Amino acid sequence: MIKFDNVDLAYNGKKVFAGLSLEIKEGEKVAISGRSGIGKSSLFSLILGFTEPAKGKVLFNGICVDEKTAWNVRKQISFIDQDVSVGVNKVSEWISFVAGLKSNSAIDFGEKKVKELMSFFELDHSFFNKNISDLSGGERQRIAIILSALLGRKIFLLDEVTSALDKHLKKKAADFFIGKKEWTVLIISHDSVWVENTPVKVFDLEAGKWKQ
Amino acid sequence: METVDISTFSLLLAFILLLIPVLLSRFYGLGLIGDLLSSVARMSVQLLLIGVFLKYLFVWNNGLVNLSWLAVMILVAVFSAIRSSAMKPVKVLVPIFVAFSAATFVIVFYLNYFVIKLDDVFDARYLIVLGGMLLGNSLRGNIVGIDHFYRSIRKDTKKYLYVLSLGATHHEALLTYLRESVRLALKPTIAAMATMGIVSLPGMMTGVILGGTSPEVAIKYQIMIMIGIAASTTISVVLTIIMTLPVCFTKYGTLKNDIFVSGSI
Repeated sequence: MIKFDNVDLAYNGKKVFAGLSLEIKEGEKVAISGRSGIGKSSLFSLILGFTEPAKGKVLFNGICVDEKTAWNVRKQISFIDQDVSVGVNKVSEWISFVAGLKSNSAIDFGEKKVKELMSFFELDHSFFNKNISDLSGGERQRIAIILSALLGRKIFLLDEVTSALDKHLKKKAADFFIGKKEWTVLIISHDSVWVENTPVKVFDLEAGKWKQ
Repeated sequence: METVDISTFSLLLAFILLLIPVLLSRFYGLGLIGDLLSSVARMSVQLLLIGVFLKYLFVWNNGLVNLSWLAVMILVAVFSAIRSSAMKPVKVLVPIFVAFSAATFVIVFYLNYFVIKLDDVFDARYLIVLGGMLLGNSLRGNIVGIDHFYRSIRKDTKKYLYVLSLGATHHEALLTYLRESVRLALKPTIAAMATMGIVSLPGMMTGVILGGTSPEVAIKYQIMIMIGIAASTTISVVLTIIMTLPVCFTKYGTLKNDIFVSGSI
């Protein structure tokens, strides 16, 4: 599904990693480990076409991610960053903004579905009309998770998405993503709750190999 | 009614007024004397030269020469716009020149042909004077607009990439920034129009009245030029942004790193 084929990455001529080969199959749940600055988030940037490899290829469903294909690849992936925002004021406007994008026009953002997910993540309906700036970090992360699930995509790139959640909600969020067999999930997180889940494989980016 | 001429000696009397800011600057230690005097000297020399130049330009009144002079004015405006922004000149010079030229020429010809109904739309008194006013005013808006557009995308890189990851087209991802930038660029013109005549007597109107024309005609010219400025600012900001996109963004939709002067952002 996602394959890094002998990829070198450099920023401003400075090497981040070299010769990375990694294959993630459909339905796998993979945590990326490694010290800070080793390039974990850059893996997601490479998949999404936000960064170009200095050498090698990144393949998505067998197609090389390049300037033409990246736009389509992005439509199939749900990416959540640590602190996402779209520059609007209210939660309802955030949802409308995402639902209003051309590529999402066929997706059902029905109220019932939104409410179900909100109640699962322990947010009440009043959150619709709340100002995003008034939300706590944890509340914002849960809204981002809900939105990513609403998009109906099956591949998730999660970068520290549970950092601001309490222990109980971290577990709930991890179980939510890992529990869906058909979802392929890549995780960057300092929260142990992700790797405590048995189906999660760990790839050590520093060593460039799977952890046993 | 002819405008009363100011003799060279009388003009020198105007310079005596400079003593006021100079003395106050000294008294309060403002440190402005050097800047003030050098700016006054520059302004005087520049205007003196342009006065002589325009005198011959108006006498000669050759369409091609007038157009060429307007093109030179646009080029100077473009350099000024780029120097005030954080962009590297070599990257954005051509697109900004094309955008400024289109905005200025379209509006000035429209005003000359359809509004003033001139027999000769290339007449120096109209082409250069109106073109200069449009340029001078859209320049400020343009600098604000283009600078805000690229700075805010750079500042909001995470937000911008998140929107792209949601499946947004390049146009969808840029729309918020485009809207904000055009709004910001037009704000001074909109504010100026709302208070014009009450808070200030605008330059063009003053000039036309001093030139011996009745205030009724002066008002019409002022209304026309303000509408022209609003239109040319909008065109030039939108066009500048659209035309710089291919040089400032990669084909992946991400902002290039090498478009800013180092250390400016």
